[in-house]
Amino acid sequence: MTARRRVVAIAQRELLDFIRDWRTILMMVLIPLLLFPLLFIGLPLVIGGEAQELAATDVNVLIRGEDVPGDLLMALENRSVIVTTAEALDDVTVDDDAIRNGSMHAVMLWNSSGEVYEVHLRHLSTSTLSTDARQRILLSVSEWEVQERERRVADAGLNVTDTLDPVRLDQGSTDLASDREVQGLVLSSFIPLILTMWVVTSAVQPSIDMTAGERERGSMEALLCAPARRWELLAGKWAAVSTIVLVGVMLQLGGLLFALTFLAGPSLLSTPDVGAFAVLLFFVAVLFFSVMVVASELALAIRSKSVKEAGAVLAPVSLAVIIPAVIVQIINLDGVETFWFAVPVVNVLLAMRELLLDRVDPLHTIVWLTTTTMYTGLALWYAQRQFNREDLVLSPS
Amino acid sequence: MSETSDAMPPLVTLRGVSKRFGDVVALDDVTTDLNRHTSTALIGGNGAGKTTLLRILAGVYRPTEGSATFTEGDLTAHRRKIGVMTESTGLHLRLTAWENIRFHARLFGIDDHVARERSEALAIRLGLGAALDRRTEGFSRGMRQKTALMRALVHEPELLLLDEPTAGLDITSARAVRALIESLVDEGRGVMWSTHDLTAANICGRVMVMHNGRLVADGSLEGVLEEHESDHLEDLYLTLTNEATPEFKAGMEAES
Repeated sequence: MTARRRVVAIAQRELLDFIRDWRTILMMVLIPLLLFPLLFIGLPLVIGGEAQELAATDVNVLIRGEDVPGDLLMALENRSVIVTTAEALDDVTVDDDAIRNGSMHAVMLWNSSGEVYEVHLRHLSTSTLSTDARQRILLSVSEWEVQERERRVADAGLNVTDTLDPVRLDQGSTDLASDREVQGLVLSSFIPLILTMWVVTSAVQPSIDMTAGERERGSMEALLCAPARRWELLAGKWAAVSTIVLVGVMLQLGGLLFALTFLAGPSLLSTPDVGAFAVLLFFVAVLFFSVMVVASELALAIRSKSVKEAGAVLAPVSLAVIIPAVIVQIINLDGVETFWFAVPVVNVLLAMRELLLDRVDPLHTIVWLTTTTMYTGLALWYAQRQFNREDLVLSPS
Repeated sequence: MSETSDAMPPLVTLRGVSKRFGDVVALDDVTTDLNRHTSTALIGGNGAGKTTLLRILAGVYRPTEGSATFTEGDLTAHRRKIGVMTESTGLHLRLTAWENIRFHARLFGIDDHVARERSEALAIRLGLGAALDRRTEGFSRGMRQKTALMRALVHEPELLLLDEPTAGLDITSARAVRALIESLVDEGRGVMWSTHDLTAANICGRVMVMHNGRLVADGSLEGVLEEHESDHLEDLYLTLTNEATPEFKAGMEAES
């Protein structure tokens, strides 16, 4: 019996045990597979539905002042604003109370001063309807202002277009990046973060179950009595957890590509323009990162005497990944310093960001590959030390 | 002190072995041999050191002091010669009985079809035949003990280390397990049976009594009784472990 066959036997047993639990299937397959498609279908539906519902809702606006132009009132009514007009008051308390109790959603104070109109708005920013009422007033006033400006220019005998728009900027010819390159930039702002969080969090439960869980259930002792060396146990468990994590990542990426290709509208997102080598390096980055994370989590979990203790250790550790993930989001990729590609976790996240932009910098690649290999080696060495501990089996008696 | 009824060298030789966990002395200066085809009842109260001794014999623990020498040299080779049934059974509950056994058989390099044949034969002997392909999470404690015993036997070890195999079992299950152990002993297979049950000594050729981490008696039942001038193992056990009540001691003195 070779060591390799024992490692395979251990990994197979762990996986069989793990997938027998329906919650595991849900976590391993359905969530990663459906996350992005649901995000791309569900989120636009929810956002669109809410916006439509809000647009169809009438809002009550009180306008205080005289000589409010009729076409402005018409513009407001076209935006489902029910207008009530009244004389100006010095005391605004009554109006504020009306806004707070919801009988009015906003109040506009209108004051004509010769050719100039002064507008003051009162609203409640914590109320969605009040904020929307304010927005509808601003849009209507702005629209009316444009018409008023054009009327005045025309009345002065000037050409309206040349006077009001003397500089023409051609919007279409300024950006050298293609749409697909822009999609890469957009994706690079959240894909590395989501993948990293997935790798870190999805490894927690199987790592605990296969180490502290086995100790607690007593199956670890039976395993230690079999003719398998400690490193074989580690390798088998590591292979099983890595498989679980990587299957989840692959399903997640598959779901993302499906969503980008078939579900996302062209105005939202599309498949980024990334070369084959960059895609390959992207998968290498995910693989290396997963190996490192799984080894670290197994080592920390095996140190714990119970499932509860392991959970208490690993939960904050996985949350701690948020910090480098946030740092990565604010690092400017143009002229980024090379040392960032040596910082643990940050290096892989940065590499993923660069690769989604189809940037393959040889120096950056060498640094993140070398340092990630080094960190992975350290994590495995530490895990091996923990698996060699005699107190893997407890309760002296 | 130890009995060596085997022509082959002992599987394990312990010399002055002590094991400490922090301030707790779990084993104290134990010297004995573990022979291949000898049946031994390892008797002692809770915390006497039985499990620690079994773990040292299985190579799970290393002695703090003294030496544990494995004849096979390599620990992996040593483990191929022994089968261990731990007190907690250590089954994977989402797997069937057969899948649990098959996993261990694979670690021992046993082909699946050979392991299946052996498992079916053992399952019939233990009355588990129909349950072999059922998940163990639905098993009673007795069925789990039997499955763990089958798992320890599937690679046909020269010696079985059993940690309280009948603890917590109902009368029927305990009898079935005891009957299997008895038949294994009759077949000439070595068994080391850690138990609180003094009747174990009646089916084992050798008795080891542990108290507070020390091996206070080791030999054949007759030899041990003769050495300590006692008629009954229970009396001897209570005397050796200082657990006899004053009334019991007074009765013993009056009797003598």
